[in-house]
Amino acid sequence: MIPQPLIDALFVVFSIGALVTGYRVFRTDSMVRAAFYLLASFAAVGGILVLLGAEFLGMVLILMMAGEMLVMAIMMVMYMMNPAGLNPMWMVHQHRRAVVGGVGSFVVLVGAILLTDFPSASRPPNLAVTEQLGIELLGDSMLVFQTAGVALLATMIGVVVLASQRGRFGSAEDGSAEPPLQPDEEPA
Amino acid sequence: MTDWFIAIMLLGVLVAGGPWFVAVIDAAVGHVVAGTMASIGGVATFPLRRGARLISQETTRTERPDVGGWALAPALLAGLAVLALALVPFGPGLVVADPSTGFVVYSAAVAFVMIAVFLHGWSPNSVFALHGAYRYGAVALSFQIPFLLAMLATALPAESLSIVEIVKAQESAWNVIRQPLGLPIYLVVGLAVSFWGPLNLPDGRDLAGGTSVEDAGVQRLLWELARLLMLVAVAAMGAAGFLGGWWGPILPGPVWMLLKTGLLIAILASTRHLFARYRIEPFVERCWVVLIPLALLNIFVSGVTLL
Repeated sequence: MIPQPLIDALFVVFSIGALVTGYRVFRTDSMVRAAFYLLASFAAVGGILVLLGAEFLGMVLILMMAGEMLVMAIMMVMYMMNPAGLNPMWMVHQHRRAVVGGVGSFVVLVGAILLTDFPSASRPPNLAVTEQLGIELLGDSMLVFQTAGVALLATMIGVVVLASQRGRFGSAEDGSAEPPLQPDEEPA
Repeated sequence: MTDWFIAIMLLGVLVAGGPWFVAVIDAAVGHVVAGTMASIGGVATFPLRRGARLISQETTRTERPDVGGWALAPALLAGLAVLALALVPFGPGLVVADPSTGFVVYSAAVAFVMIAVFLHGWSPNSVFALHGAYRYGAVALSFQIPFLLAMLATALPAESLSIVEIVKAQESAWNVIRQPLGLPIYLVVGLAVSFWGPLNLPDGRDLAGGTSVEDAGVQRLLWELARLLMLVAVAAMGAAGFLGGWWGPILPGPVWMLLKTGLLIAILASTRHLFARYRIEPFVERCWVVLIPLALLNIFVSGVTLL
C-alpha cells in the first residue's frame, strides 16, 4: 500500500503540473506545442483520478487523450498557414472577450466547488472499482452506453468511408482516376 | 520485497540486453540473407561498434527546431517501453508493478508511442521528418484498434485486466492455442507499433530515414536504442499475453519468460531482412477491413467458448 504522505505529495505534483501546462497552452506560440501541453495537462488530471482510486477512468483518460490530441494537432496544422506549426503565432484572439469569459467561468466553477457538499467518507479498502464500473456500464445503464457506443462506431465508420479516397473509379491505391473520355461518349 | 528486487533486476536484464539481442539477430539474419560471411564475435559486437561510432559522431541541428521536443522524443519512447516492461511478470509474484488495470496501462503506453514518434518527426522542422510523423499518425489510428483488441481477448479467460492474472489463467492452455488468431494479429501489428522491418513506415528508407532523417550522433543512437527497446517491450508483452508467460516444464519461470521473449524478438527482428516494406495505403486498408474484423471474431469466439 502506498503511504499517505506520498499520495499527498503526488497530488501536489500532478495538480501543479496540470495547472502549469494548462497555463502554457495559452502562452505558447505554436498549435502543436499547445496540443502537447494540453495533453500533459490531461495526463496530470488522469494521474489525480488514479490517486483518487478511479484507476480505470484515470488510465482511460490518459489513453484517449493521446490519440485525441494527436488528431487535434494534425487537424490544426492542416488548417494553418504555416505548414509545420513551428513558426511563432498568437494563440489568443479577441482578448477582451477572452478575459471576461475566462474570469466569468473561473468564478462560476469556484462557486460550484465552494457551494457543493462533497462526500467525505473514505473509500473502503479492496473496493473493486473497475468491476463496479463494468457492472454499471453493462447493467442498469447498458442501454444508454450501448446506444452511444453504436452511434459513435457508426460515426467512425462513416468518417473513414468519407475520408478514404475510394471513389467510384476504384480505390486510391489504383489511382482512383476518372477514365479518359472515348469518342462519342457521354462525360462521366 | 526480495521478489520485487529480483523483478527489478530481471527488468534491467531485458532493458540492457534486449536491444543488443534485437540488433544481433538483425545483423545475423542480414548476413544469412545476403550470403556474406561474418564471425560470431563480429556479429555479437556489431551493436557496440555501431554505438561507439554514433557516440563519436557530431550531432547536427536544423533551422528553428523545437529543441525540447527533439530531446524529449527518444526519452519518452524509451520510458514508455520500460513502463510496458515493468508490467510484464517474470514469475509468480516476480513483477515490478501489477496494477489491476495493467492492460489499460499498456494500452496507454502504446497510444503514447504515437506522441513520441510525432514529436520526434515534428520537432526538427524538416520536410521528410514531418512526413514520417504524419505517416505514423495516420497508420497508428488504424493499427491500434486491432492491436488492442487482440490483446484484450487475452483478458477474457483471465476475467481480469491485470497482466499477472492474464498469465495465471494460461496454466492449463496457453492463449496461443486457445485463441489461434490472437498472436498472429498481435505480431503483425506489433511490427507497426515498434515501426520495424516491413512496417517501418515513419522511419523508412523511402523517406530518407523519415522522422530520424535529421538525427546524427548521440541523438540517433538514443532514438535507435528507444526503438529497439519498444520492440523488446512488444515481444515481452506478447510472451506474457499469448505464450503462457512463466508457465513451462522443468526450467524455472523467469527462464521460460526470457526464452519466450527471445523467440518473439527473433521472429519480429528477422522480418526486416525477410520481407519487403509494405506500402502505407494497403496497410491502412487491411487494418480496417481485415485485421479489425478478425480481431473482433477472435474476441467473439473466445467469449463463446468461455460461456
